[in-house]
Amino acid sequence: MRGTTRTVAVAAMSAVALLAAGCGSGDSDGDQSSAGGGAEGGEITVYGCNPQNPLVPQNTGETCGGDVLDQVFSKLVHYDADTAAPENDQAESIDTDDNQNFTIKIKQGLKFHDGTEIKAKNFVDAWNYAAYAPNGQYNGYFFEPIEGFGDLQCTGDGDDPCAKAGKPKAEEMTGLQVVDDYTFTIKTTEKVSNLPVRLGYSAFAALPDVFFDDPEAFGNKPVGSGPYKLDAWNKEQSIVLSKNADYTGDWPGKVDKITFKIYQDVDPAYNDVLADNLDIVTSIPASALIDDKYKSDLPDRNAQKETGRIDVLDFAPSSVDPNYDSVEVRKAISMAIDRDTIIQQIFNGTRTPATGWVSPVVDGYKADQCGEACTYDAEKAKSTLEAAGGFPGDKITLSYNADGGHKEWTEATCNSIKQALGVDCVAQGVVDFATFRSQIGDRKMKGMFRAGWQMDYPSIENFLAPLYKTGASSNDGDYSNPEFDDLIDQAAAATDEAEANSLYQQAEALLAEDMASIPMWYGKTTMGWSNNVTGVKITAFGTVDYTQVSVQ
Amino acid sequence: MGTYIVRRLLQMIPVLIGATFLIFAMVFALPGDPLDGKCGERACPPAYAAAFEEKYNLNDPLPVQYFKYVGNLAHGDFGETYNGIKVSDQLKERYPVTVKLGTMAVVIEAILGILAGVLTGIRKGGFLDNLVLIATLVVISIPIFVIGGLAQYFLAVKWGLFPVTVTSGEATFYQLLLPAIVLGSLSVAYVARLTRTNLAENLRSDYVRTAISKGLTKRRAYGLHALRNSLIPVVTFIGFDFGALLGGAIVTESIFNIPGVGNYIFRSIKSRDGASVVGAVTVLVLVYLVVNLIVDLLYGLLDPRISHD
Repeated sequence: MRGTTRTVAVAAMSAVALLAAGCGSGDSDGDQSSAGGGAEGGEITVYGCNPQNPLVPQNTGETCGGDVLDQVFSKLVHYDADTAAPENDQAESIDTDDNQNFTIKIKQGLKFHDGTEIKAKNFVDAWNYAAYAPNGQYNGYFFEPIEGFGDLQCTGDGDDPCAKAGKPKAEEMTGLQVVDDYTFTIKTTEKVSNLPVRLGYSAFAALPDVFFDDPEAFGNKPVGSGPYKLDAWNKEQSIVLSKNADYTGDWPGKVDKITFKIYQDVDPAYNDVLADNLDIVTSIPASALIDDKYKSDLPDRNAQKETGRIDVLDFAPSSVDPNYDSVEVRKAISMAIDRDTIIQQIFNGTRTPATGWVSPVVDGYKADQCGEACTYDAEKAKSTLEAAGGFPGDKITLSYNADGGHKEWTEATCNSIKQALGVDCVAQGVVDFATFRSQIGDRKMKGMFRAGWQMDYPSIENFLAPLYKTGASSNDGDYSNPEFDDLIDQAAAATDEAEANSLYQQAEALLAEDMASIPMWYGKTTMGWSNNVTGVKITAFGTVDYTQVSVQ
Repeated sequence: MGTYIVRRLLQMIPVLIGATFLIFAMVFALPGDPLDGKCGERACPPAYAAAFEEKYNLNDPLPVQYFKYVGNLAHGDFGETYNGIKVSDQLKERYPVTVKLGTMAVVIEAILGILAGVLTGIRKGGFLDNLVLIATLVVISIPIFVIGGLAQYFLAVKWGLFPVTVTSGEATFYQLLLPAIVLGSLSVAYVARLTRTNLAENLRSDYVRTAISKGLTKRRAYGLHALRNSLIPVVTFIGFDFGALLGGAIVTESIFNIPGVGNYIFRSIKSRDGASVVGAVTVLVLVYLVVNLIVDLLYGLLDPRISHD
């Protein structure tokens, strides 16, 4: 976290704007000259999909709604588009001495799109609302580290844990205190060294007072604080954003209007880009990846960037399928997978072979954590398996959801395993994603199964704790290692960033020792754009960097 | 005739109720609940899951859920999709588009198909007959996503003759023209072959020979007598096909990004979105029933021997 020298200038500018508003006629949409420079104006259309929840930052955890909300809401912290490094945005400063008590000062004069000022209570109210279980907010669990979170959860059980006596004990977390209009404090139950990094995630955005009057109406037309404001959400058709003339932050957009056109499928969107009917498509359909067809279709109009995503093969918990208990067997399977060839032949190079469990885009990434266990070596794989006494079952299974285009690579992976180990390997399709996840959730899925993880915030912790800590929410393989849990806790308490990172790396090394899952590859995002736009850059999150895009 | 129509309309009521229940039960019986795939690769947070289940009555047993649904339906409330959009709004927006597309496809298939069928039926074994035979064979054997994809790439993207996709809710005639041709192409082949075979058969029958021998012009004997009789199976097919096109245009709808019903149903089934599936399919069943009634009434017009009294 580092402050920027630009902060002072911005604060001065907004003070002037404030004065002008005070003396003026109350015309909130005045034509103040837009901040920033370069080619400005015009409008663009971008591939969009259907938001799964109301457009409230505390209630959105998927990219369809998230891509839109990123532009509509600014957060305390902004992640650098290229490196994902956090920088203060709405926060003037975030201070802590002990990683448990944080004091946050916000910049003065920041405004929501409805003209009301952003104050400390807008953050505290929004976070309390999100954490209060009966509100059922998707991102409520992000507030778990804050003191008093437990009292906002429902205590009952049965169908509706929030009914009657099950009502939460409190409505506000004790760990959040408003000091004055521009200052508030956070106290966490345990030490959380990377809390400031997390504050750039949309769950931590401030909400204006109008939200609390009518959350439902707000979800259809959110009033944010970011470089763009939402003009209209035409359900299942389009989402229209226009430039926020009053935006005073450091990351304004260049174009005046962004329209997210909602598609059911990426193929037609790609064809629309070819015909210049759509400006940016944020992924390339499989049909155009074959032989790099998109590169000849869109010469000089495509880009690729590694993003914070990793794909792994999980092992069913021992109680469900004991055949994979042996670490040596796991390592043998991992060594039997020819990642490079599969990536070239199936994905046309749009993945990077994984050498560990943490994506290279985050701070603290250490290469080669998995070591030789993630390096293809058919002979070594076979000898390792033989030394371990062979595979206990009659065949290895690898399950995938059949509706997600995973058939090809899972079959290729199985072939690779079969050839190297001489053990039969079957790729098993489960009819669709809902069924697939329900079998995993109910611990009925045997053998190995695919899993993907997209980071929420750019921290090494986000790739380890939610996935491999004992009892963690996404620990589908029920991995449990007390030493690992201990290292994660220690890292969270470390006051020094380098020390924290080193502890996280030690924890990751334990995953390699136990072969908790098989790392397959890191994700890359590929985009294409039309002749109408220029300057399209991909962020470390796989989204479009709207501070750079302009109309040609 | 009047009593026949009334009777048929009354029959629709139990069919509709039965259909809603069956569909509801089938969606309910699908493995995996709506929350499973909703939160991506991770399990839904408990607070979110509890609120979600409460809102959509997911904790109730099937009959209770069904009666709550039907109760709302009686007030004209189709419920909400799992991403919080009113199903009735979706149906209102999507059905007109789908009906427009289906009608255009049916008109195209009827005109082209019957025309080709008549021309080839009259001159059986001629050059045109063989040409149509081969052409229809080719069309039938190529999957629709290939035809659609190729048509989109060459006619729209490459040569710019048609719009590439339907990009707004108000799909225009021009935007739907290429999708309708693609959608109708397969059926054109069937209609052409059906018409040809039936017509050729009827041309050999006694009544046509009699008509010709008593001095009727060929045009009149063929057009008025033979063709009318030959069209009965064709009309049956087209009526059935219209219903199938409404719900079954999933592939065409995806290729051209048409905000229609087929895609909506498909997506809703995948997300276990009961209210959407039942709402959309119930309307589909209704359309099917009405179209079938119209087809049955048409029989009487084509062949007076078929009477509805």
